[in-house]
Amino acid sequence: MNQIIINLETPEIKVLEKVGEKDAIAKASKESVFRQISEGKAQFTASSSKAFALIIDGKSLQYALDDDMKKLFLELALGCASVICCRSSPKQKALVTRLVKAGTRKTTLAIGDGANDVGMLQEADIGIGISGVEGMQAVMSSDIAIAQFRFLDRLLLVHGHWCYRRISSMICYFFYKNMTFGFTVFLYEAHTSFSAKPAYNDWFLSLYNVVFTSLPVIALGIFDQDVSARFCLKFPLLYQEGVQNVLFSWRRIIGWMFNGLCSAIIIFFLCTNALDPQAFNKDGKIAEFQILGATMYTCLLWVVNCQMALAVGYLNVVQHICIWGGIGFWYLFLLAYGAMPPKISTTAYKVFVEGLALAPSFWVVTFFVVISALIPYFLYNAIQRRFFPTYHGMLQWIGHEGLSDDPKYCKMLNQRSIRSITVGFTALSLGKNQRWES
Amino acid sequence: MSKSYFMGHYRMGNCTEKRLQTIIWFSTFSTLGVHDVHAGFVSVTGGSGSFVDSSFFLARRSIHPSVAHSRFTQQELPACKPILTPRWVISAFMLVSLVFIPIGVASLFASRDVVEIIDGYETHCIPQEFRNDKVKYIQTPGVKPCIRTMTVPKHMKKPIYVYYQLDNFYQNHRRYVKSRSDVQLRENKSENDVSSCEPEDIANGMPIVPCGLIAWSLFNDTYNFSRNNQPLTVNKKDISWKSDRDHKFGKNVFPKNFQSGKLVGGANLSSSIPLSEQEDLIVWMRTAALPTFRKLYGKIEVDLQKGEVINVTLENNYNTYSFNGKKKLVLSTTSWLGGKNDFLGIAYLTVGGLCLFLAMAFTVVYLIKPRRLGDPSYLSWNRNPGGH
Repeated sequence: MNQIIINLETPEIKVLEKVGEKDAIAKASKESVFRQISEGKAQFTASSSKAFALIIDGKSLQYALDDDMKKLFLELALGCASVICCRSSPKQKALVTRLVKAGTRKTTLAIGDGANDVGMLQEADIGIGISGVEGMQAVMSSDIAIAQFRFLDRLLLVHGHWCYRRISSMICYFFYKNMTFGFTVFLYEAHTSFSAKPAYNDWFLSLYNVVFTSLPVIALGIFDQDVSARFCLKFPLLYQEGVQNVLFSWRRIIGWMFNGLCSAIIIFFLCTNALDPQAFNKDGKIAEFQILGATMYTCLLWVVNCQMALAVGYLNVVQHICIWGGIGFWYLFLLAYGAMPPKISTTAYKVFVEGLALAPSFWVVTFFVVISALIPYFLYNAIQRRFFPTYHGMLQWIGHEGLSDDPKYCKMLNQRSIRSITVGFTALSLGKNQRWES
Repeated sequence: MSKSYFMGHYRMGNCTEKRLQTIIWFSTFSTLGVHDVHAGFVSVTGGSGSFVDSSFFLARRSIHPSVAHSRFTQQELPACKPILTPRWVISAFMLVSLVFIPIGVASLFASRDVVEIIDGYETHCIPQEFRNDKVKYIQTPGVKPCIRTMTVPKHMKKPIYVYYQLDNFYQNHRRYVKSRSDVQLRENKSENDVSSCEPEDIANGMPIVPCGLIAWSLFNDTYNFSRNNQPLTVNKKDISWKSDRDHKFGKNVFPKNFQSGKLVGGANLSSSIPLSEQEDLIVWMRTAALPTFRKLYGKIEVDLQKGEVINVTLENNYNTYSFNGKKKLVLSTTSWLGGKNDFLGIAYLTVGGLCLFLAMAFTVVYLIKPRRLGDPSYLSWNRNPGGH
């Protein structure tokens, strides 16, 4: 790697320092630093495919961070593969971090273990403190604390990716389930001449987000893993999904909301057309407001929860309990609420026991509506995986087929970057021929 | 310190991973205190003939009780990771179509078994000279009889349900639905609880029992059936839900001061029959979900043969003409699925057929263009340095 060294150990500066005039030293030092930065920049722009390393010490940094020179310094630093600022004071560390943060408008991460890193850790967007030899000062002022430096790659590649995926999935799913719920109510409104009569009993409405659909989302946010930890480390390019904001793009958000819209339309129209206006059970009873509302709500809960089961690629015990338990809890709630005296349960009084449970059409309609509402998403998923697979989809496929140890496939999946990047140059060149073990 | 132990240990475990055995996870999870579980990495043992296409697994190492409880915190809980392989996609669609098509056929047969006769009479029951001002006709006091005939198309087995169907009547309008007093309907002593019943709450200074717009607008057309000049009795008992009769309408609440205002909205109620036995009222007060609805009028407890002509003497009292509503008389049998509705059967068949078609299409696609994993196309989102 070519090195660009900026320091003030030149003979002219040393002579001036012996003389001792502060102004002259400062002026000469500043000019020297300016000259060295410009030279470095010329070197760098002449051959941009080579990797450069910039080394600057604390004394020069003091002048490089002046307002009139810092833009130039930043340009040079950003073009290099590595930048080493040695002998810098805590304040300079913080100032460099601030310069990069403001100049590039990217998310910066700082990692340090000593009390002199505190300024830098606080300044960066994400500060990581290492607990250990130099005390707990860095840990106390950091956002995340780890025990050893080498855990950083696990923190970023595994937990960073999982966190990004979980948050984006959770938010998209939240929009989806509320869109589905709200749109069924809206479609019903169109049939009540927009008089604001909700399709469901009051307590059904209130408890939708609080009780019936809350736990699966929380479980999704805590436990979801699209790719196992081992694969996250093995294919670091997966981390770029977060940097490029692939999983939370507008297309995805609107896609999920559209999915909610489709589900709501399917639920509403299938329920109303199948149950109205003729009798719905053998005794000739009609499916009026209570029956239709309870049926639609049952279908809604089933669809929303099964959609979660379809969309996540990872179901552990807790998620199974939350999803299927949530649906089972709904039936229990119907029984319990229906058993309360009519003063409290109003329109839901004995609706399940008397009306729904004994009517085969209720079960037939629910089964049909749930499967039909999930088919569009299932189809979309199948087509996407076959024709337009995402990167993490390919990794899941590799893991499923057991090809993760095959070097040919791994190499192919790792070579997905067409940008010529110089970042991580040393690691890349060292790791080129090495097997990617943890 | 324990944290680094677990993290370090986890990393060591990774590189010694080779082939794994597929074990049903839920049996081993709780009891054995399995150590060092690698949930999430999948490998299939056996050759292509193996039916083990499962995508979940456990790795068993030495049992280490102190480590077992941390599986939760280390996010290593055993899990199943279903992946949409071609096999799963085709199987799912085939399964859905194999289940839906028979159910669709059964539903369609059930619906075809039901015999339904519908007769819309609101226009025909207005005499010719009043056709231009129907509202005036319906509002004139007195009996307004009308004779209709219905022919039975197929043998109808008892019990035959008689419904009246109303169109364009928004019984689900919020203000209409609110306009009732459930507590007054239940208890005699809450007779004065009419606050939610406006404007049908008080008439001539006295509270109305039952109050509210719903009760006020009670349907009041009546139907009398006869066959070959023999009257057909209509059983009007048990046409309402049992829970309504027992718990929502009181046995000692009697209609009082009902329809005594200037504007009469519907039927009158006998003051000597308690509300729990006023089944027409109970049926009417269970508000419908949509603007086109039917309500049970009664049951005919004899069979009707094919070709029989039923004469209906009906009284056309109810004013649906002010809002362009329609009135229909419906005679219907029921099946295990309910009344006559081909929609469910046809919908099941449609979706079943669609899934069958999709299963075939996917089979063709997977056979013609088998998936190649080593696809060298570059990821489109990684073209821009750090861009979106």
